[in-house]
Amino acid sequence: MKSKDWLRRLVCALMVVSLLFWSAPPQAVWAAWVETESVLNPSAADSARARLEIFLARQDVQAALQTHGIDPREACSRAASLSDGEILRVADRIPEMPAGGSALGVVIGAGLVVFIVLLVTDILGFTHVFPFVTHRR
Amino acid sequence: MLPAAAPALPARTEIRDLAFFPEAAHQCGPAALATVLTWSGLSATPDAVVKQVYSPALKGSLQPALISGARRHGRIAYEIAGRDALWQEVAAGHPVIVLQNLGISWNPVWHYAVVMGYDQPQQTVVLRSGQTARQSMSFHLFDRTWARANRWGMVVLPPSQLPATAEERPFVAAVIGLEKARQWPAAITGYRTALARWPKSLAARMGIGNSYYAMGDLAAAERAFREAVSFHPEAGAAYNNLAQVLMAQGRATEALPAARQAVALGGPLAEVYRQTLEEIRKRLETDAAGESARF
Repeated sequence: MKSKDWLRRLVCALMVVSLLFWSAPPQAVWAAWVETESVLNPSAADSARARLEIFLARQDVQAALQTHGIDPREACSRAASLSDGEILRVADRIPEMPAGGSALGVVIGAGLVVFIVLLVTDILGFTHVFPFVTHRR
Repeated sequence: MLPAAAPALPARTEIRDLAFFPEAAHQCGPAALATVLTWSGLSATPDAVVKQVYSPALKGSLQPALISGARRHGRIAYEIAGRDALWQEVAAGHPVIVLQNLGISWNPVWHYAVVMGYDQPQQTVVLRSGQTARQSMSFHLFDRTWARANRWGMVVLPPSQLPATAEERPFVAAVIGLEKARQWPAAITGYRTALARWPKSLAARMGIGNSYYAMGDLAAAERAFREAVSFHPEAGAAYNNLAQVLMAQGRATEALPAARQAVALGGPLAEVYRQTLEEIRKRLETDAAGESARF
């Protein structure tokens, strides 16, 4: 039993180490690399992106996303393909950003408010309510 | 009012051969995106993009989701705002995704449609909208529904084409979005498109090098950064990344002067350049230690 434990720990440790290297994109290997975005906008290195990533990685947030039918991995990859400028804007405007739905839609839905409240209280300090559409057909 | 303000534009225009995907329940976002993606030369269907853009709990699609959805297909997503931009893009033959609020401000009914034409004498706008393949709407009504969504619109183009209303910074930022979506060949094409119009764009030149680097093509990345330093001898960032790419090829001795030049030039990213120089010095020391150990 004891030797099995030891083996399991070793395998675990090896996997963690290999994952660390495997998942790192080339730029992340060197901290001293200049991203294209920093060239366009060197002052806005403030990372709303990092905050958003940390936010999306949290377990309670992921659970909330899933409750509302959003795949957390999908949420992350959507976030990753936005520029910093857009991330900042998303952070500023999520509460008032409309989701286009159907022309037959009406506004209801307390569930979403929970999600927004989560956003509000937990990370970005939002102050409005998200307009959204739900369907009654 | 319709294009009257821009006499250079045709009095009426309509984009032909635009795909039509009758919209399933509250799937106007995927339908609109699939329409413009197909127009841009890809084979896309609403079903294929729905997972990327649609948020079931919202029963709709957010604008950033449409933007990133287009980028993940290797297409430029360029936002426009306002009437003049809309007419210019449509007149240039670019279909425009628009967001409308078909309800009223306190009870919004959000909807995406694709503007495919206009008729100035008739004062109408032609849309692909919902279940309707060709909806001719009075300009007055269209503009009221559009204004309630802040007159937001977006064109989706292959990276080899510029939007009619393209400006340097937002266009380069849109290409950076492609780079972030890991669509590197598309990003390189986009940066080259930017350089053809704005040859002085340092960000576009750097973007080419960064994209090649991300693809693992170090030789092409090196060429791009050498070009960047020759066009922009004042740019520390270009020297810094040149030094890094030389180091990545095991050429620390050549990297050293580039890194020194970056540090000498300084600027807001000076701390990054110093770090690069430090890395190279360490590398050279280790190499030297290795050499002397061998003898």
